[in-house]
Amino acid sequence: MYLLSLITFTPLIAAMIVLCLPKEKEKVIQIVSLAAGAVSFAFSLLLLPAFDKHTPAMQFIERFPWIPSLDVNYIMGIDGLSLPLVILTTFMTLLALIGSLGIKERIKEYFFWFLVLETGMLGVFEALDLVLFYFFWELTLVPMYFLIGIWGGPKKEFAAIKFFLYTLSGSVFMLLAILALYFNSTPNTFDMMALMNAHSLWSPRFQILVFLGFYLAFAIKVPAFPFHTWLPLAHVEAPTAVSVILAAVLLKMGVYGLLRISYGMLPAGFEWFLPMLIVIAVVNIVYGALCAMAQTDMKKMVAYSSVNHMGYCLLGVAGVSATGFSGAVLQMVNHGIITGSLFLLVGVIYDRAHTRDISAFGGLAARVPVYAALMSLACFASLGLPGLAGFISEFLCFLGAFPRWKVYTAIGVLGILTTAAFFLRMIEKVFLGPMNNKWTGMSDMNARELASVVPLTVVTVALGFWPRWALDFMNATMIHMAGLFNK
Amino acid sequence: MINLHLLYPEMVLAVMALGLIIAELFVAAKHSRILYHLAVLAAIIVLCLVGFTLSNPGQYQGLGTLWSVDPLSQFFKLLVLLATVLCLFLALDYKELPPKHAGIFLCLLLLSSCGMMFLVSSVDLLLTFIALELISISSFILTGFERRNKKSTEGAVKYFLFGAFSSGVMAYGISLFYGFTGGTRLIGLAHTGGPLFILAILLILLGFAFKASIAPMHFWVPDAYEGAPIPVTAFLSLAPKIATLGAMLRLFSVLLPASVLDLTALFALLATLTMTIGNFTAFFQNNVKRLLAYSSIAQAGYMLIGIVSGNTLGLEGILLYSFIYVGMNIGAFAVAQAVGSENSRPDSDPYALESFNGLARRSLGTALAMSFFLLSLSGIPPLAGFIGKFYIFSSAMQAGHYLLAAAGVINSVVSVYYYMRIVYHMFFKAAQTQAALPIGPYLFGSLAIATIAVIFFGIYPEPLIAGVKASAQYLP
Repeated sequence: MYLLSLITFTPLIAAMIVLCLPKEKEKVIQIVSLAAGAVSFAFSLLLLPAFDKHTPAMQFIERFPWIPSLDVNYIMGIDGLSLPLVILTTFMTLLALIGSLGIKERIKEYFFWFLVLETGMLGVFEALDLVLFYFFWELTLVPMYFLIGIWGGPKKEFAAIKFFLYTLSGSVFMLLAILALYFNSTPNTFDMMALMNAHSLWSPRFQILVFLGFYLAFAIKVPAFPFHTWLPLAHVEAPTAVSVILAAVLLKMGVYGLLRISYGMLPAGFEWFLPMLIVIAVVNIVYGALCAMAQTDMKKMVAYSSVNHMGYCLLGVAGVSATGFSGAVLQMVNHGIITGSLFLLVGVIYDRAHTRDISAFGGLAARVPVYAALMSLACFASLGLPGLAGFISEFLCFLGAFPRWKVYTAIGVLGILTTAAFFLRMIEKVFLGPMNNKWTGMSDMNARELASVVPLTVVTVALGFWPRWALDFMNATMIHMAGLFNK
Repeated sequence: MINLHLLYPEMVLAVMALGLIIAELFVAAKHSRILYHLAVLAAIIVLCLVGFTLSNPGQYQGLGTLWSVDPLSQFFKLLVLLATVLCLFLALDYKELPPKHAGIFLCLLLLSSCGMMFLVSSVDLLLTFIALELISISSFILTGFERRNKKSTEGAVKYFLFGAFSSGVMAYGISLFYGFTGGTRLIGLAHTGGPLFILAILLILLGFAFKASIAPMHFWVPDAYEGAPIPVTAFLSLAPKIATLGAMLRLFSVLLPASVLDLTALFALLATLTMTIGNFTAFFQNNVKRLLAYSSIAQAGYMLIGIVSGNTLGLEGILLYSFIYVGMNIGAFAVAQAVGSENSRPDSDPYALESFNGLARRSLGTALAMSFFLLSLSGIPPLAGFIGKFYIFSSAMQAGHYLLAAAGVINSVVSVYYYMRIVYHMFFKAAQTQAALPIGPYLFGSLAIATIAVIFFGIYPEPLIAGVKASAQYLP
């Protein structure tokens, strides 16, 4: 069963089909794309029953020689760290594709790039060969450039090229780091599973250098302070569905890489960097929240809240405990779902009002009750209200980090407070208070919008009440990973 | 021992080239396309002959007095001929060339290729010099072939003056070399060192640097490339550069390795300088020919990294990169030609970046292909250019040149900016017209070959790498 390859390459095949279709057949293009997203999602759900929760080992492994003369193999496999992210990717992409049905111009190109993007993202989480990993990592870059640059907002061209150059400058150093690992392993290999057991031969100095190479690539993707400046711009300019993917999946590639490669392969480098990582995590949390508070543009506010939420992930990672890691991974999933729905909801109001200025609204709860309910729920989840998904993962991140970093964790709690402040302020200004008469004609959400948002809301509530279902899939891997450090 | 048969392919090509001049007398100007087809045929025949020599290395490969026919030279010959054929395809769909002089044009093109074939085989400075002159003199005339275009003449004159200067420098270097070693043969250089010998080698290196457009000998490139008819520009950016790098590879990696005369630091400097100057100057170009000219300077810089590394990976890396470079550069020039020839109003620059506006709306396939070539030139996977860069940077990492590799990757990032400027015009700008871009059948052929090569070898480079590994063997 080549299940992982099927999940990954279904969208790519559909992208090729879309490319061959004439551009006038817009309905057919949309159907093919949606079908590919749905098939890929369905395949990824097939992973769940077959996944063995009790082993930290890689599962569903596929291995073929690809470029034998360079020792490059096609190796795919997942464990408790990548499984949640794979399902998150297929799920979010399907919803984003539904959300994209509102795109009116250049439909063929849009769906082509979107499907290529999905293949790239999935591949990153599944690849177990560093060259293959790099291939997929870079494959996400070009489609994103076009998606932001063609269908984005007023400053789209600048946002697109800034995103491209920023991310690329990180990833080329990753390429050098990959080559350094290759030439310093015996026998020379790009196989990630072999490299995870090779670090005992490497000097701490070498590990630190290679760690920095990887870290630059991952930190830019996360985005970790001070490499976060591309994110608000890209988010604000990107079309709604692309913002969703950017926040829900692309940022996760950074934390995933940090856990899988930086931590898994270079423990000495990671240990050396740990004191800085916790500072960066706390800065991300507090600074991200404060920046979000200063925004009047709703989309920019959500974008900065992403910086804040990715800080929780980094906090969990810096805790270097099974609890912290579980929290970080669960936070990645939750942030994907919650921020995804926030972006979709901001897109809904922007489509109607053509503004995202918080103070331009007022009293909308009476006018659009369904929208107001869904938006408030997403905001509450994002600020960590118990009973909703965000609470559990944030709590786990703090719990995991506390034993090692008491003071920093305490400072980090301030971030939660600020998050609550700006989300509540937004709810108050947009939905409560006196009705702004300008929007009396505003219609509530339509079926397409509901179809893309409601599943996310359902999952948000479900994971809030029953996080154990998701945590069970990760536990064995997380315990194993945390155990590596204390040895 | 008479081993003249080793040079049959070169001889056949030279005879056919001269035959084309004679044939021109019998073919009316309006039927000049026949001559083009004959030239393509000639190049393909020689291509097959060179391919044939690979089948029986015992008989068809060997060491002559002036030349060495080995897998290394045969690889570069194949590549030069391939580039020639593809450029001839471009020329077949190019309307600005005077049909009256088709025979001369083709003869010069083929003679230039013939010079390159000698160059990559040469193991004696005498032959090297003659081969370089054969290439240069043909190229000067080819550059100025659009006589009614002032820029063409300007480019040719600059090219000529710079070329004459660098030939003089090189000849002086060869004379010093002769004085020091008592001969011009490059094989078996035993006792080296001494300032005179180093000076000789440096001057010879300058002569090579001129043809391969390596900084600081690159000043002729943008003007000559901009002025030359675009099929010639494509030819100049590919064949001479690759052949010269092949000759440099033989001289500085094989015949005069770092263990004999250590020029590593110098080459590292040249590589960094060439990449950086090429990329940073390309930033400011608004003419696609000039942009691609500077990009081709930068590309030569990447290939030099392979010589710096001096290991097997570096040698193979240069071969691999040259092959891929042919594919991606010819593709980029093919699209540029199609765009430039469509819009030939005298008042505006047909090769301005604005000519690309909205190409994605008009011909999505062509625009995508162009994006693939440009992304490949900047080394983004899964396109072939990435494999080339991967190989080259691997060689640098293996040899411990970490800073050079870092300079290389930073340059790759910089290059993305200006390559993406073309993509920006193609995808983000509105078109003046909605009609599909007209593309001639031969141009389409070149484009299709290049596209398939760039994608196929990007995803599955194994056959190419196997071929390169087999070709990285040399005599003596």
